[in-house]
Amino acid sequence: MWKAGETLGPFALPITRELLVRYAGASGDYNPIHYDDDYARSLGLPGVIAHGMLIMGLAVGAIRQTAPLGSRLEQYGVRFRAVVEPNQTLQVWGSIASVEPYDGDWRAVIDVRVLGSGEAPAVTGRAVLAWTFGEGQNDRVVQ
Amino acid sequence: MLQYDRGRIGERSAPVINHVDNSEVRKFSETLGESADIYRDEDSARRAGYGGLVALPTFSVCLQRNPPPGLVMPKAGVIHGEQEFWYGAPICAGDRIAVTTWLDDVRVREGSRGVMTILTIGAEGQHANGDLAFRSRSVFFVGEGVT
Repeated sequence: MWKAGETLGPFALPITRELLVRYAGASGDYNPIHYDDDYARSLGLPGVIAHGMLIMGLAVGAIRQTAPLGSRLEQYGVRFRAVVEPNQTLQVWGSIASVEPYDGDWRAVIDVRVLGSGEAPAVTGRAVLAWTFGEGQNDRVVQ
Repeated sequence: MLQYDRGRIGERSAPVINHVDNSEVRKFSETLGESADIYRDEDSARRAGYGGLVALPTFSVCLQRNPPPGLVMPKAGVIHGEQEFWYGAPICAGDRIAVTTWLDDVRVREGSRGVMTILTIGAEGQHANGDLAFRSRSVFFVGEGVT
């Protein structure tokens, strides 16, 4: 089971132009800043940028791969701190802030960071996951 | 000029009923590279006790909604600054989700780069039986000169 203080990751998130186009189609977000370089530059951007919601979705997907069996996401919030350009591989890191019993469940708070090419993280956030006491028992370790 | 009416903060939009489509849910999961079966295979989702293919946590962005009362969102130049979700019962293919939105807060900040308007927009999705599917809070930054 997850333990407070543990680090999750890094998980690699390759961000390609193709992914941006596919996400536009899957999400219905056809804002041209995500596929038209000239348009993006006319707004002062370096070129097309990734959808914030794409990065948010990918980051929690990476973290969830390591979550205890049967866990569910209760809360998830992020700040988009820097634009993300395609043709780079982002790194997702999780840091387990706490794991505590709560109302017959276990509940974990994970601090999430997504790093791009810049020094500062592109996205930071926090996810709260819960799982029922007794589920995920096989990988539970007494703390 | 960004148009908003502070007097309508908190006022809920008319709901839009979304019929959650199986292929849309699957396409979203595939695009995000999700590998867990309950998000990609209907039979696996049903065996796990869900009513249909389960939608990923950020799928709710695909759901249609009316704009928040009292706000005309500019067509371009809006920066998505923050996003937060609180989750209730999972959204599955075949569900009917009623989505409402509201203007939660408007703040104006004057800085070195001019006037920035900070919009906070709330949204809520409700299952047909009244259970909460999600509640969200989105923060957008709108610069001076954005129309």
